[in-house]
Amino acid sequence: MKHLPKHLRPRWRYLAVGIETWPNASFGRRAFQREVWYAAQNLLGDTGSAETDMTVLQFHDYEGTAEAIVRTRRGQTDPARAALACVDSIDDDEVRVRVRGISGTVRACEEKYIRGPPEATEQRHVVFENADRGATVRPPRYDVETASDGPFVGATALDFR
Amino acid sequence: MYEAVYAHPDGGSTVARQALTAADSGYDGIVVRNHGDEQADYDTDAVSDAYGIDVAVGVEVRADDPSRASGFVGNYRNDRTIVVVHGGDRRINRFAVEQPTVDVLAHPMREDGDFNHVLANAAADNGVRIEFDFGPVLRSSGGSRVRAIKELRKLRELVQDAGAPFVVSAAPSNHLQIRAPRDVVAVGETIGFDADAVREGLAEWGRVAERNRERQSDDVIEPGVRLEDSDRRSDDE
Repeated sequence: MKHLPKHLRPRWRYLAVGIETWPNASFGRRAFQREVWYAAQNLLGDTGSAETDMTVLQFHDYEGTAEAIVRTRRGQTDPARAALACVDSIDDDEVRVRVRGISGTVRACEEKYIRGPPEATEQRHVVFENADRGATVRPPRYDVETASDGPFVGATALDFR
Repeated sequence: MYEAVYAHPDGGSTVARQALTAADSGYDGIVVRNHGDEQADYDTDAVSDAYGIDVAVGVEVRADDPSRASGFVGNYRNDRTIVVVHGGDRRINRFAVEQPTVDVLAHPMREDGDFNHVLANAAADNGVRIEFDFGPVLRSSGGSRVRAIKELRKLRELVQDAGAPFVVSAAPSNHLQIRAPRDVVAVGETIGFDADAVREGLAEWGRVAERNRERQSDDVIEPGVRLEDSDRRSDDE
């Protein structure tokens, strides 16, 4: 179809989203997109969901963390923020979602808020509550396995001094 | 702004991890509100220095009946900065709002708890803060979430009408449940709260902590009587 004239094209805002999860979680862009749609529809309803029109444009998956760029319509950034805050799990993996910032262009969003891969995690043995445990470590964060393959306890370097 | 967290063993992350994540999300402080029977072992100053965030020592008193709750509140009042009462039972809600020594009544609408104008007025008179628990809004879905939002609205109307003090919390029991202040405010706005009220509610935890620390400091001899720096200097001479 023919391009719309410039003044009739929708104006977008780009939300940089940071995602943190447990080390054994795995999900991709599609799963995140689905959860974003569900969250928007559940919190804002069909009209609100259509109004915010959220699309996951980029999704970078790293071990235990991820970052994404979510597009929404200009003027709808507050409802979009609220819907993203209500994403508490992706494919049954618990997640923390945080809006790092909002930009007017994808490039600005990438340059300001997308940090790229964090340091690689390493496996260590730690003593937690007088027991030998495996931990996935990305200093200063320690995710301690209390049984094999979860559940985890979130800790930091301070807990192992 | 402050967040009131449950930490391991009452939650899935240690105090240090909760503090690190809260600092990363933009909070100025956390209140550790573990239930009385699941206390965490932590070094407030070490955590606070390492992550640049205030850590207030709190407790959430959970008891089946008011007389036991009263005993617990009395026990904890002297060594905890913030004393919260685990609400959600009509008799406990009533007890908490009538006790000026209680700082916060947590989630009064949970389970079969209820709230009314009499309790709201008592809370206003005794300066007991009512907690708006955003946990179920953020983490549950369907009918239970609808009910939670409905109950928050009722509570908000009662608290507003009585002019009772209040706090807001997402009640995170692990670090993944922490949401940044701006995100909590955005959620509050969509469920009918005023953005400023939510910010006030998050900041109120910090004000309670500051006030109680001052009251519990060695400078305060009794309400209204405090040691000034000049008095102390004359002692030394």
